[in-house]
Amino acid sequence: MPQIELSPDVEDGGMASMIADIIKGNLQEKPKRKNDFIALNGNIYMNAEDAEVDMTLVFNKGSLMVHNGKVGNPQICIATDSGTLLDLANINVKFGLPYYFDSIGWGVITKLLTGKLKIKGLVTHPIKLTRFTKLMSVR
Amino acid sequence: MPYTHGTQEWEEAYTAVTKKRMDSEKKPYIYFMPEWVGAWEEFLKADPVYKSVALPDWKGAVVLHVLKNADYGVEQDIYVYLDLLANQVRSIRIVPSDYGKSGAFVITGTIERWMAVGKKELDVVKGMMQGKLKLKGNLPAIVRAIKPAVRLVDAAAEVGGLMPDAWTPEIIESIKETIKNMAAEFNIN
Repeated sequence: MPQIELSPDVEDGGMASMIADIIKGNLQEKPKRKNDFIALNGNIYMNAEDAEVDMTLVFNKGSLMVHNGKVGNPQICIATDSGTLLDLANINVKFGLPYYFDSIGWGVITKLLTGKLKIKGLVTHPIKLTRFTKLMSVR
Repeated sequence: MPYTHGTQEWEEAYTAVTKKRMDSEKKPYIYFMPEWVGAWEEFLKADPVYKSVALPDWKGAVVLHVLKNADYGVEQDIYVYLDLLANQVRSIRIVPSDYGKSGAFVITGTIERWMAVGKKELDVVKGMMQGKLKLKGNLPAIVRAIKPAVRLVDAAAEVGGLMPDAWTPEIIESIKETIKNMAAEFNIN
């Protein structure tokens, strides 16, 4: 079973524990995605700008520690509003890849193009981002 | 003897009390009292927005858990249980705590937080991200249904209601009395 832990500063409830629960639930429901979990290494930072809440996921090839705030020098940084963060979790996965050609996917692309969703690392770490999107997707 | 929750008698008596209070109480109804819950149920049953965003395969109750706060006359936690199936709101009831806790998704907040939601000062998703509202249940399932879930709560704001910041000492006394009577009659403890 993948090891997912909350750092001591993370309280029950709130974005950090919600995202950890989403990933845990997904891995239980979709065991094939464990390969993506095991392959991930490094820090991913998420910022819900409207809620003024941020967090970092520290992946270490089969384990994950979830922190409040920014930790280290994340290779991927995602900044947007709370609703869009949950839209990211609703991206469909088809043929093992995130699928952007439906209303949810187009909505995400539109927000990227209009600057409402900012992703640092989109170009430099596409494989890592794809794996993370799959881990986050509840679809 | 209180009615036993889950029986036909409980349901009939609860419905009768709600209807009587909806007829007799002045509008706007007091937030989270049975008449207000009844108005919310009527609103959602006819709500085209909810029907349009609800998932056709949805099964499971959403529960709003209001933490007790004696300053507002709410001397015990309140569990408002939304019985949902596909795109239908079957019923909304104030239920016994044991039953409320068993809901598939329980969103917990203080009365002040729920008031902020009711006044559209706090967005539900933002509130959950900030930990102001706490969600229990299968996260992937509720995230799949985030749009209908948000609509359910947003509709509560559209129903309106007399919010806690407008409650006078007389209203607070009446709330205490109502909760006490509901607990005695419907086993809502």
